[in-house]
Amino acid sequence: MTNSPFNGVSPQAQAISHVFIISLVVLAFILVLVLGLVLFVMIKFRGREGEAEPPQIFGNKKLEITWTVVPGLILVFLFILTVIYANRSDPSVPKGRQPDLVVIAHQWWWELKYPQTGVVTANEIHMPVHKKWLVRIESADVIHSFWVPRLARKMDAIPGHPNHIWLESDSTGTYWGTCSEYCGAQHAGMHIRVIVQNQKDFDAWSNEQQQGPNIPQTGDAAKGQQLFDQLTCLNCHAIKNIGPNLTHVGSRETLASGVITNTPENMARWLHNPQAVKPGCNMPNLYLTNEQVKYLVAYLEASK
Amino acid sequence: MHKDKMIMYMVVATEAVFFTLLILAYLYFHKSSGTGAKQTALLDPLRTFFFSLFLFSSSFTVWRAEKNVDKRNFGRGGFWLLVTILFGATFLVGQGIEWTGLIHHGETVSANLFGTTFFTLTGFHGMHVLVGLIVLSILFGLAVLGDFKNSKTALSVGVFAIYWHFVDIVWVFIFTIVYLGVIS
Amino acid sequence: MTDSNTTTLSAPISLPREYKGLLSWITTIDHKQIGILYLAMTFFYFLVGGIEAIFMRIQLAVPNNTFLSPNSYNEIFTMHGTTMIFLVVMPMLIGFANYLVPLMIGSRDIAFPRLNALGFWLLFFGSLMLYFSFIGGGAPSAGWFSYAPLSEKPYSATPGLDYWALGLLLMGVGTVSTAININVTILKYRVKGMSLKRLPLFVWMVFINGFIILFALPPLNAALVMLLVDRQLYAHFFQAVAGGSAIMWQQYFWAFGHPEVYIMILPAWGMISEIIPVFSRKPIFGYGFVAGSTLAIGVLSFAVYAHHMFAVGLGHPFNIAFAFSSMAIAVPTGIKIFNWIATMWGGRIRFTTSMKYAIAFIVLFTIGGLSGITFAVVPIDWQVTDTYYVVAHFHYVLFGGTLFGIFAGIYYWFPKMTGRLLSEKLGNWHFWLTFIGFNLTFFIQHFVGLLGMPRRVYTYPNLPGWGWMNMVSTIGAFVLGISVLIFLWNIFISLRKGKPAGDNPWEAWTLEWAASSPPAPHNFELVPPVNGRRPLWDLQHPDTPDWKLNKAES
Repeated sequence: MTNSPFNGVSPQAQAISHVFIISLVVLAFILVLVLGLVLFVMIKFRGREGEAEPPQIFGNKKLEITWTVVPGLILVFLFILTVIYANRSDPSVPKGRQPDLVVIAHQWWWELKYPQTGVVTANEIHMPVHKKWLVRIESADVIHSFWVPRLARKMDAIPGHPNHIWLESDSTGTYWGTCSEYCGAQHAGMHIRVIVQNQKDFDAWSNEQQQGPNIPQTGDAAKGQQLFDQLTCLNCHAIKNIGPNLTHVGSRETLASGVITNTPENMARWLHNPQAVKPGCNMPNLYLTNEQVKYLVAYLEASK
Repeated sequence: MHKDKMIMYMVVATEAVFFTLLILAYLYFHKSSGTGAKQTALLDPLRTFFFSLFLFSSSFTVWRAEKNVDKRNFGRGGFWLLVTILFGATFLVGQGIEWTGLIHHGETVSANLFGTTFFTLTGFHGMHVLVGLIVLSILFGLAVLGDFKNSKTALSVGVFAIYWHFVDIVWVFIFTIVYLGVIS
Repeated sequence: MTDSNTTTLSAPISLPREYKGLLSWITTIDHKQIGILYLAMTFFYFLVGGIEAIFMRIQLAVPNNTFLSPNSYNEIFTMHGTTMIFLVVMPMLIGFANYLVPLMIGSRDIAFPRLNALGFWLLFFGSLMLYFSFIGGGAPSAGWFSYAPLSEKPYSATPGLDYWALGLLLMGVGTVSTAININVTILKYRVKGMSLKRLPLFVWMVFINGFIILFALPPLNAALVMLLVDRQLYAHFFQAVAGGSAIMWQQYFWAFGHPEVYIMILPAWGMISEIIPVFSRKPIFGYGFVAGSTLAIGVLSFAVYAHHMFAVGLGHPFNIAFAFSSMAIAVPTGIKIFNWIATMWGGRIRFTTSMKYAIAFIVLFTIGGLSGITFAVVPIDWQVTDTYYVVAHFHYVLFGGTLFGIFAGIYYWFPKMTGRLLSEKLGNWHFWLTFIGFNLTFFIQHFVGLLGMPRRVYTYPNLPGWGWMNMVSTIGAFVLGISVLIFLWNIFISLRKGKPAGDNPWEAWTLEWAASSPPAPHNFELVPPVNGRRPLWDLQHPDTPDWKLNKAES
């Protein structure tokens, strides 16, 4: 199904879809009326050569008042809908309610923190189905906007001004989203995935995330882990948070915020030259050798 | 209303909106940044008030200049223009003293939000005073050269006075809000 | 023909020694020449902005395209928006106002001719400063509304944004000075008999517009100044990390930005209100409501701005308040559509190229206006803001609206300005290619936005529908490109060999048509008597002048 606001799978998105359809129907009537009138006058009152001037009519107060009041009433109707549906699609947050998920937007990836379990990951949100989660949305640098069309409204991620939205889904599945506030070079490459699972699967994922990955002690993956520690990767990917947390990157569906799918080939492509895959992103080309890439790929893919 | 005065009022209207927005920025950060109170303690309202008196009086002197020029007393009019320039310049000297004092205490436009908003607001006001002084000097020069016998030039003193009074009124607001701490 | 009501202008003021050629254009202080300078400059930038758009559409024609690098695309879309708004639409309308207002009110020139020239040259040099950025270290690439903190030094290190801010400040001074110049002209230079209630609607719209400009540009200037202080003096207005406020930029910017879109449409409404009556052979239906509703819009336009900020998270009360005002402003905006249709009703419509553009304006502006109303419904905005649905909306109102209005105006007043008619045959081609190309480019963008495509993206993934929809849009852009070439050809050929127009080729009724085509340097020898809104109608129909026909108001 397409990523359309009309394909909502949450109560909030469906509420928006509902008011959208009502509004479009009302406005379509007006459009058809205007189009009809224009076509009618063009045909009926076409001038012909040599005709005398038509009767000079200057106005009609009654008519003008009518076509002021009637649109006014239509807009009152739409306004009432607005108030009702704003509350339905974005209910207020009860006092003291803590967020279930904290999303921190970075140039150009999404940091994800699960306060209850301490899980830290990036770009791909896992959540249980039928649960109404409160998500706090923050930014580490410039203004971004969190948007998953089928699940919820758009909400800006603004430095110094945390925001909250409700996130829930009526069915399992993977829902696509993307950054929706121009944030620089790779605004186009800042996608989101919300992977809605049944409670059992979600718990399994959550437990896996809370433990360290099982990296074999020998072989390419072990050599890769050594390289990861030696080659300053930790600097950006752990200490300074400039790049996403990679503890369990092997289990992700995509890399680079949804720009490429997570396969060993793509991982290698990325490591050889990130700038070729996502030009302008903050990861420099480290000029790794083929061997180094091989080991790192093994390590990272094993980090499930 | 003469067209020259009309357009000057319009210019004043647009500048008034501009200054209002800079003042709003000052007020917003003064409230929200929490540090404003500490920095305003570094200001010297009494000394600034003393120098402000010169600016306020210059509105009176420019009015005298306008009245004299209207009555074709060009000598007197020129004299009052000169006094206006001196008073305006004195005000700017006072601003300079205030600024250097603050900067010596480490209070700069980049130090914190008080500095940012204070220097931007008073800086733009000072710029407007300076532009006014330049125009006043030109008018004074024209007075000395006897150009005011041409009635069009004479009108320009009255038109300029509108601008000058405006600059003065802006300072009343700035002084009241920043130095006297009204509305914060 | 003289009678006691004719106003004779006093002897012409001593004109400076007339220069021929280029020098006369560079040194002119005549409002007509300055108006044409505006039109020439803004048309040039229309081509530049159009080329920028074509580049963007080529890059977006297919998913994951590599025609433009992200940085190049981002610079181009920033410059496209900035150019079209500040260097095309706004000054083109100002150029028309400059040319037409003194003629329409029976005046010799504008109130302050030298200030008028200054206004133009500030715009011109401001534009050069802006475009210099391409070779001066990089064009600005933070979007035409340059949200902070992206626009701050740490995130935009090249001087592009400094050129942008300085260029806009310069241009802004020029715009405001011209607007107040025109307004003083309207207040002080109307010929005897032309009360404010008898002003041509174009003049009314320009007049109200002048006040909007007066109050809307200062917030932009304040914001730009604050941005420059942040960038150049290391201050903190918009840096949250130092206690500043990113949202403050948005508040100040949109306090300008929303009135700005009205600045960009009011004069076009004025043009339509002149053109439709003439080609329907009837007066405007409901002059009072058309003028009055525009006055209401002038005031209300400052009260709706935060509908651009519904997704910022400023709380329900704030959002609902602005939803209310945004819906309120739709009423005075919409009723004009009915006034224009009622003007055509019962008329004898002449389908000149100008009229075709005017009728198309009504339809396309309605579409843009209605999609605009969907944004006022806050929850809908939460889904569609920052998507291609918005891009479609504003192109419908600005291109389908304003630009179609401008084309109507060009075909209508070109004869007055040059003495020659534009070719109707080429005009017909131009119109249809523009109409088809425009709708092909932008209608489908509503849908790709509703499929989740955000705006300001240099590329997009191969999601269902996105690819072919973007391709359709790109094809439309090329059709538009061809239409512009035809238009250029029409101008070129008509300047040389166009049919001589005479004073009043359209049998119109406002004062500019009493001057020769082109008008003499001092505009009029004698201004016809003004006893109503249509002085030339009254002159041509001495038995049935307006003041006899229209008991309600004159």
